[in-house]
Amino acid sequence: MAGVAGGNDFQWCFSQVKGAIDEDVAEADIISTVEFNYSGDLLATGDKGGRVVIFQHEQESKNRPHLRGEYNVYSTFQSHEPEFDYLKSLEIEEKINKIRWLPQQNAAHFLLSTNDKTIKLWKISERDKRADGYNLKDEDGRLRDPFRITSLRVPVLMPMDLMVEASPRRIFANAHTYHINSISVNSDHETYLSADDLRINLWHLEITDRSFNIVDIKPANMEELTEVITAAECHPHQCNVFVYSSSKGTIRLCDMRAAALCDRHSKFFEEPEDPSSRSFFSEIISSISDVKFSHSGRYMMTRDYLSVKVWDLNMENRPVETYQVHEYLRSKLCSLYENDCIFDKFECCWNGSDSAIMTGSYNNFFRMFDRNTRRDITLEASRESSKPRATLKPRKVSTGGKRKKDEISVDSLDFNKKILHTAWHPKDNVIAVAATNNLYIFQDKIN
Amino acid sequence: MLGRGVKRKWSCLEELEAEELPNALVIEEKKQDGEEDRGEQRSKSNMSHLQQRQLVLSLCLEKLQHYQAGMELSLRRSVLLINTLRQIQEEMRCDGSDVRLHSVNPDMCLLRDDFREDESVTCPGCAEGDRESPSLSPPLSPEMPFQEANISLDLQKSLPNTVSNTFSDAGNAIGYLSDLALDDIFEDIDTSMYETSDLPPAWGAGSLWPVSVSFWPDEDAKSRSSAGTLQSCLLDLNELDHIMEILVKS
Repeated sequence: MAGVAGGNDFQWCFSQVKGAIDEDVAEADIISTVEFNYSGDLLATGDKGGRVVIFQHEQESKNRPHLRGEYNVYSTFQSHEPEFDYLKSLEIEEKINKIRWLPQQNAAHFLLSTNDKTIKLWKISERDKRADGYNLKDEDGRLRDPFRITSLRVPVLMPMDLMVEASPRRIFANAHTYHINSISVNSDHETYLSADDLRINLWHLEITDRSFNIVDIKPANMEELTEVITAAECHPHQCNVFVYSSSKGTIRLCDMRAAALCDRHSKFFEEPEDPSSRSFFSEIISSISDVKFSHSGRYMMTRDYLSVKVWDLNMENRPVETYQVHEYLRSKLCSLYENDCIFDKFECCWNGSDSAIMTGSYNNFFRMFDRNTRRDITLEASRESSKPRATLKPRKVSTGGKRKKDEISVDSLDFNKKILHTAWHPKDNVIAVAATNNLYIFQDKIN
Repeated sequence: MLGRGVKRKWSCLEELEAEELPNALVIEEKKQDGEEDRGEQRSKSNMSHLQQRQLVLSLCLEKLQHYQAGMELSLRRSVLLINTLRQIQEEMRCDGSDVRLHSVNPDMCLLRDDFREDESVTCPGCAEGDRESPSLSPPLSPEMPFQEANISLDLQKSLPNTVSNTFSDAGNAIGYLSDLALDDIFEDIDTSMYETSDLPPAWGAGSLWPVSVSFWPDEDAKSRSSAGTLQSCLLDLNELDHIMEILVKS
């Protein structure tokens, strides 16, 4: 697979944009998660309104090979509804925090979606035929009087318009006191974990009335609380291994074979703090917002406020690679703290071959890093360049000194336009980028 | 005293300070001679740091207080904010001891507690307070520069009002703490308070916050006047902690 950009042979181009063009953005339409399925044929988004929209890859035809990055709506359904916790007198938002696909086992597709408290397993299945010719029931579906049926008719399957149904198969509720930030399907395809601020639970996909609490960092006295779990993920190949990241910038790797309760970690990943860059915001910016294993399972990537780091699972004392996402914001931390942006949770993702990584930034910018060439690129998700197959122009933020042509100054960045969620097709160079209420799909340019 | 709404520049404060330096301190500093320059440099370079600290502190309090009613707080955000507060608190605590000892004599550092005890026995609330306030107070209570003793007494009288105001509005209280060069903060200060003749009630409330204890251990009026505002603000903080605890408790 080619590198991320910069080379002469490789460029990203616009493919599609989904969502309303209106300047007025309805809160409910803001995309809160994006996820490709294992084959990359389906792309799911969740929004703040509790809806899940699934896009399906348009089948390529020989005449139109450029359709690689074309996705069309496959199914839309309301996954979660707003609720009210009467015991705590608190609203429970319908916002979809995470979507995770299950590996496909049969014709149907399954996915897990979660809001702050409840995880649901959805089945997405197609129906394009219906049984016709029953004579046991009336037109309106009522059973007919058996004495009036004089002959047995064998129904026939008649073709009909394709219908995609989404049906809730399991609801995993009442197991989280705090906000669920992560769900991750295990490589055994039978269990999954769900993490909230203080606890991680392990579930069986078939069993909804109980789960195992595998991590609990809640102190007996909440006044002593200084750390929360920010993300968690199962290892892609070893079903006994999972990691979780914390607000203190550390990652713990746990082995479920060691003990049923993984309060004691097997590995502890932490980079020593650089005393020269210490400030009031040190802890806030070191808080990890996302952790993702590489497809190979050898590495993991963590995103903190200003950087993305790649860790070798065999080396705990420092990351093997560190990429600055928007270092120019270091001098702006005070205002980012003031306007609360410093608490934004940026996610990150690997490409299919683990050779490149992608993460978001402000001003609808997103960044890609090529791990081999160490090249990086800043691209923008914007409607202005959204002509079909238009090449994306690399963006540059001027850092001090004179602003060159085509550069944007740090002060003119729009901090309301942030790209928190991105997804990379597992096999192809097709990416999905969520920019507020719009979903952009880009693909590499074939020359 | 500077007029209402007149901006006080740091240099101006320094001059005031210099005038106010009590003899005891001058002698002490003369003894330390070479160290003095370094200390001065340090205080200047610390200025922006202290300003930022005040800003971060006030924003922290504001953020913790202005959560959306009915919505569950983000625990991550709250924990990060509270840790930042703790960090600032720790730093202030260190500063306090630093300032008290002028960070010069390691022996004094070791003897600190005994030293303090001795002082309070021999000279209750005179040299001690004066010794501390000049270097401590500018960043903490720039709105109340060092004046003649009688003016500071006026300030002391005015404090009950300030305190009661700050309880209802933490953001306002922060105005009294910070040196943000915001003119409206000065506008907020009600000068009529200075005319009140009632004597302040007991100062006991301040002891709730550990910082205040290490900061202002004496009975001196001046240091109390600056401590009072901070305490009231930090009291708010204590309450907030309590509220937070209730909110996040499962």
